[in-house]
Amino acid sequence: MKAHIKLGFDGGQQGCTGHGRCAVMAGELYEVDDNGYNLHRGSTIDVPPGMEEVARYGAKVCPERAIVIEE
Amino acid sequence: MESTADKAMYTAPTQADIDEAIQKYGRDIYNDFDLDDPAFNEKHFEIIDDLVAKCPVAHSKVGAGYYVVAQNQLVKEVGQNWRTFSAAGGYMPNRPEGVPFLYPEESDPPLHTAWRQSLNPFMGPGTVNDYEDNIRADANALIDRFIDKGECEFISEFAAVLPGWAFFKNVLGVPVEDLDKLVDGVEQGTFSPDLEERAAKFGFVFQYLGDYLKKRSQEPPRGDMVDMIAAGVEYEDGTMSPWEDRVSVLVDMTFGGIATTTYVMASAINWLAENPKARQLLIDDPDTYMPRAIEEFARVFAPVVALGRTCTKDVEIGGRMLSEGDFILMMYAGASRDPSVVDDPKKIDITRETVLHSAFGVGIHRCIGSNLARLELRATFEEWLKRVPEWRVVEEPVYMTGQLRSIRSLKLAW
Repeated sequence: MKAHIKLGFDGGQQGCTGHGRCAVMAGELYEVDDNGYNLHRGSTIDVPPGMEEVARYGAKVCPERAIVIEE
Repeated sequence: MESTADKAMYTAPTQADIDEAIQKYGRDIYNDFDLDDPAFNEKHFEIIDDLVAKCPVAHSKVGAGYYVVAQNQLVKEVGQNWRTFSAAGGYMPNRPEGVPFLYPEESDPPLHTAWRQSLNPFMGPGTVNDYEDNIRADANALIDRFIDKGECEFISEFAAVLPGWAFFKNVLGVPVEDLDKLVDGVEQGTFSPDLEERAAKFGFVFQYLGDYLKKRSQEPPRGDMVDMIAAGVEYEDGTMSPWEDRVSVLVDMTFGGIATTTYVMASAINWLAENPKARQLLIDDPDTYMPRAIEEFARVFAPVVALGRTCTKDVEIGGRMLSEGDFILMMYAGASRDPSVVDDPKKIDITRETVLHSAFGVGIHRCIGSNLARLELRATFEEWLKRVPEWRVVEEPVYMTGQLRSIRSLKLAW
């Protein structure tokens, strides 16, 4: 499983704007930088085995729907 | 014309829905909504739930009129599309003449981007987490003042004060002797029912902040947010931001996050008084339940009920055509109670493993102070539960609602 974190947006495209909610609700997988943006925004991370549920939680709580899970 | 990504047919409420609304709320909330109607204060959540369930795009005939979207998907569509739904017309429907625009809240890119990029580091977790010890100490200092009385009026004695102290002491670094008048100025300048007093108190804080920014610009830098704002940012045309924009930014930062946190904090303490099982979970396992509870409280006690945008062109939203220049409100309080994204949304449940809400907005204008707000809420609940493990509500709280929702008074005893 992979988790793609969309990079900020321009003109209506959804992406990470730094709410930091992924780190609050699914901090075992998602980390944010000092400004609150997902550390991996703009890229795709491999979800380690056993973390699938955590990965989905993070995607579910993102108000921007910026995290896309690729099963 | 631009169409929305997920085509939603506009399903108008039925005549039976309208008749029922008129009977329950005294007005047709779907075709003649009014934020300032007393019924929206008294039957707040019922009205929001009806809007979410029955009317994707409601309309108001108040003043020049405005539209209202409350479903999660539609709020997201508006919030994420700043080119079509501009913040530069301000967040208020029927904005009175002469009200100064607050930046970056009431601006679009590139001006918005220039300010947000510079402001974000000062409100990110890396900076605000350093305030934790101070905020916990302040929470205890406030509790010290009334704990032996066995009672308090929680708003004026705690919930309106702690967020003010957290901001003015830690973020702005103002002299301690100015705190009381600033906290009072923000609270009354936002909510005083006497509109003349409200304008006067807002004016006082505006003046104070302008003077403070000037004073700080002449002092040795402290490396904080005030220094950054005083120095200004470069705009796209290569000019430096004018002084009045810098004052506007400082005012925006100040008014954005103080009174709003007060409402979440007070609503949660009000709710926890009657929910001993939730209190016990928070005491026994704060690492698991505190983050969930904070998100859940922000979801159900949304202090920013709705903010607005101005259409920059003719656009279809929720199956309804809006024209260039139309004003549209995003009802964040509704987007967080939408059954399409939250199971059993009316239920307050601090054990939810995932909480999707829009209390901090959506899109490029998302609340810059959310990290500080969470920290204040966590410090409050943890310190309060240690000092006052059981309490009761002596008098039903009094609410006030418009674009913001607030509790005016909450009397507690233990």
